[in-house]
Amino acid sequence: MQQKVEIQPILSMNSVEVLYDNVMLAIKGVSIQVPKGKMIALLGSNGAGKSTTLKAISGLLKAERGRVSRGEIKFEDTDITEMLAQKRVEMGICHVIEGRRVFEHLTPDENLTAAAPAGMSRSDLNGEKEKIYNYFPRLAERRNSLSGYLSGGEQQMLAIGRALVTQPSLLMLDEPSLGLAPFLVAEIFGILQKINQEQGMSVLLVEQNALAALEIVSEGYLIENGRVVMNASAEALKSNSDIQEFYLGGGEGTNFHNVKHYSRRKRWLS
Amino acid sequence: MDWVFLTELAINGALTGLLYSLFAIGLVLIYKASSVPNLAQGGLTMVGAYVVLALARDVGLPLWAAIPLAAVLMFGLGFGIERVALRRLAGRPVVMILMLTLGLDIFLRGTTLAIWGGTSRSMELGVSYEPLFLGDIFISRIHLVGAGVAIGLFVAFMLIFRSRTGIKLRAIADDYMASWSVGISVERGVGLSWALASVVAVAAGVIWGEIQGVDQALSLLLLKGLAVAVLGGLDSILGAVVAGIILGVVENVGADFLDPLVGGGSRELIVAAVLILTVMIRPHGLFGHHDIERV
Repeated sequence: MQQKVEIQPILSMNSVEVLYDNVMLAIKGVSIQVPKGKMIALLGSNGAGKSTTLKAISGLLKAERGRVSRGEIKFEDTDITEMLAQKRVEMGICHVIEGRRVFEHLTPDENLTAAAPAGMSRSDLNGEKEKIYNYFPRLAERRNSLSGYLSGGEQQMLAIGRALVTQPSLLMLDEPSLGLAPFLVAEIFGILQKINQEQGMSVLLVEQNALAALEIVSEGYLIENGRVVMNASAEALKSNSDIQEFYLGGGEGTNFHNVKHYSRRKRWLS
Repeated sequence: MDWVFLTELAINGALTGLLYSLFAIGLVLIYKASSVPNLAQGGLTMVGAYVVLALARDVGLPLWAAIPLAAVLMFGLGFGIERVALRRLAGRPVVMILMLTLGLDIFLRGTTLAIWGGTSRSMELGVSYEPLFLGDIFISRIHLVGAGVAIGLFVAFMLIFRSRTGIKLRAIADDYMASWSVGISVERGVGLSWALASVVAVAAGVIWGEIQGVDQALSLLLLKGLAVAVLGGLDSILGAVVAGIILGVVENVGADFLDPLVGGGSRELIVAAVLILTVMIRPHGLFGHHDIERV
C-alpha cells in the first residue's frame, strides 16, 4: 500500500453511506481522498457504487431520491455533505455525468455558454471557450452545428469542455470512455492528463476501463459491493495479480490448460 | 368568387390567428424551459385579466398603470407556482406535472369564480370600435392592436432566448440532470419561465378580455392555443406565430366555405382537425425540434 504523502487532500470522504429511497443502501462506508492536483481513479465493476460515490460528492443524489445517511464529505476543509449541487459547482466541483448528456438541441458553443458561472463576463467566457477549443480542436470545427448530431467522442469532449467552463478545481468524470473507440479514449485521456498538468486541476475518474485509466492516474481505489476494497498507487494496482485477472483482462501467462478447474472468486469480498 | 371578401376573411383571420399566437407564446415559453405543456395557461390568462380589472375597477388605478402592475404581480405568481407546487416534482415523470397543471387550471377557475363571480365583465380598453377601412377591406382595430402586441412579444422573446439566460433555459429543457451537473439552477429557470408566461398571460388576458369579456370562458382559449402551439412545434416561438397566422386564416376562410354546407359550427371542427392532423403527420410541428436519435 502506498504511503499517504503530505499533499493536502482537496476532497475527503469519510465512511459515507448512501441510501436511495430511504431503503436501498448503495454505498456502505466509502472513504476516499483526492490529493490536490492529482488524478485518482475509482475502479470497479457494474453496480459497485462508483457512480453513487460521485453523485454523493456532486450533490446530484437528491435528483434521484438518494441521500447521504452517514459520514461526511469535505471539500477544501468545508463540509459539503448537505450542500446544494449548484453551490458545490460554484465552489469548484464539477461532475461530468455518465452517458455524455450534452444539451442536444443546443450547439456546442451554446452548451459552453449554458455552463458559464453567473458572474463570468463575456470576454472571460470567450477566452474560456477558446481555451477549450484549443484542447479539443474537433469541437471548434463543429461549434455551430447541433450537439445531438456530434459523434460519441465529440459529445464526450463537449461534456468535458462544458464542465471546464464552470472553472472546477476538482473535475469528476463518470465513465468517459464508455462506448468510444480505443483511439478516442486515448485522445480524451491524453487531453485530461494535459489539463491536469497545465492547470493543476484535481481529477477523480470513474472507469470500468481500468487498463486505460491506470495509465494516467497516480492512485486508484477499487470499489466492490459499495465498499472500498483496495487502495494503492497505479503501479501497484497494475501489477496486482487479482486486479490483472478481474479488471485488466487476462493476467500474465495464466494458461487454462494447466489450471485445475475450481472457481476463482474475488476473495476480498468475503 | 369575391376576391375582396376573401382577402378580408384572410386578413382578419390572420389577425385573429396572431391573437391565438399571443396566447400560445405563453405555452411555448414554459415548454421551452421545462418540456411540460402547461395546461394552466388558460387559467393564468383569465387570472391575468381579472387582476387587471381588479386593479382598475376595485382599486381605481388607470388602465395604463393597472396593466404593468398586474404584469409584475403575475410575474411573482409564476415564480410562486414553481416554488410551492412544481419544485417537489422536478425530475418526476412529465405526466405528473401535466396533471398538476390541469389541477392548477381548475383551481384558478374556481378561485376567480369564488372572488369575482361568474358574470362577464368588460375590459373597456378604450380602443375604438369604429371600423378601419383598408381600401374596401374592413379591419377590427382591437385585433390590430392585439396582433401588434403578439409580434412585439415575439421579438422580445426571440432576443431573450439568444441571451445567456435564455440559453440556460433551453439547456434546462434539454436535460435537467446535466443542467444541475454544471451548476444551472433548474428551479430558478423553471420559475422564470412560469413568471414570463404569466406576464404573457396578462397581455393575452387584456386583449382577449376586451374582445370576449372577462369571465371563466377565457380559460377555454387553452384549446386553440394548444392547437397553435402544437402546429408550430411546442418549443418554437416563431412556430407559435406562424402557426397562429395559418390556423387563423384556415379557420376563417374554411369556416366561410363550410358553414353554409354544415349549418355552422365548422370553426371548432377545423381547429380540431388541424390539431389531430399535426400530431399524426408531423408530431414535432412546423418548427419544433424533433428528438435526436443517433444511429
